[in-house]
Amino acid sequence: MFAQTKSPRDDAVAVDAMRNPVDKSYRRMVEGMELFEKRHRLAPEAALRFKLLPRHRDTDMRDIRVEIVGESVAIPIALAPDNSFALERRAAALKENASVRPNRKAKTMTWRAEIRTPGLPRGVRRLGDLRLECEVGMQAGLISNYRPMLFGLLDPFLREGPEYCRRSEPRYLFFAERPIFGVTLVAGERREALPVDRLYGGASRDPRWKDELPYCDCEVLVDRAYFLPLGDSSWPDDTRVEFEYMDGKP
Amino acid sequence: MVFVALTGCAALSPAPSSRDSKPLGRAQVRSAQAASEAIGVGKSTKADVRAALGEAVVVDFESGYEVWVYRERLPEKAKPPATELVLLFEPSGLLAKTRIR
Repeated sequence: MFAQTKSPRDDAVAVDAMRNPVDKSYRRMVEGMELFEKRHRLAPEAALRFKLLPRHRDTDMRDIRVEIVGESVAIPIALAPDNSFALERRAAALKENASVRPNRKAKTMTWRAEIRTPGLPRGVRRLGDLRLECEVGMQAGLISNYRPMLFGLLDPFLREGPEYCRRSEPRYLFFAERPIFGVTLVAGERREALPVDRLYGGASRDPRWKDELPYCDCEVLVDRAYFLPLGDSSWPDDTRVEFEYMDGKP
Repeated sequence: MVFVALTGCAALSPAPSSRDSKPLGRAQVRSAQAASEAIGVGKSTKADVRAALGEAVVVDFESGYEVWVYRERLPEKAKPPATELVLLFEPSGLLAKTRIR
């Protein structure tokens, strides 16, 4: 159907002529945007962006181009240096059931929602932002695992959509900026470190974690991966999620 | 470098009473606090820690960093989670960080 046009890099392909692209449904991503508006109270000061992340060690994350591609529409999307982007609602693209398509092959990248309250210090996230990231991510179908049962991750619950994020211990993978040694929730005087089983995709409780890794969209991000008790309402949305990085820097 | 001059994990905690004389399982310690005090950040190597605490649950990353996990053995009828001692080794093989939870 589409002729593949290889670029000099193996994982880079032309946006407009590509087989097996790492694309996502534009319609589902717009549904994610609608959910963001509906649930904006979780992160009232934040805006919604989407972010591309590497899925292989050799994925080239430089010079990525992204377009909304339908039968007749091709709308370029502005990508920030951190490979995040905002999406606009376009009636023509919805009508054509378009895709959001980076110029990379399938399985080379994964996607997440990016919702950040401005003004937080480095190494700190806000729980309400992350709750909403999970809900938007599930609604928009951003997770890119390639085996239904993986680390016990998501699996049948993938079909639950955003409701999954309201479970007390959902296994929705978040990725920190850098490899993490610890993650601590802080709300007022209350501080609680996450158990190590909630870091690294749960690798510490699964002796076969390396066998599963190639199927996980955390494949090259496993040292940055963590789960949160999103549905535990004893932690307010303003809870600070503080990271201790392996390299010791803030 | 041998920071901990201990030859076995049993030496790390007070002598076991008859109640907890059962041998420790893999990656178990009697006291996470005592275990952490028996090793030194910036000093202990993986071999030192293995000699002092026994085998850990190891999560090793492509970057060369390794996370080692030990858990306290729960007393009979105690409910999990057990207190955990988490260690980070830097790519050089030296202990870089510890955490008890």
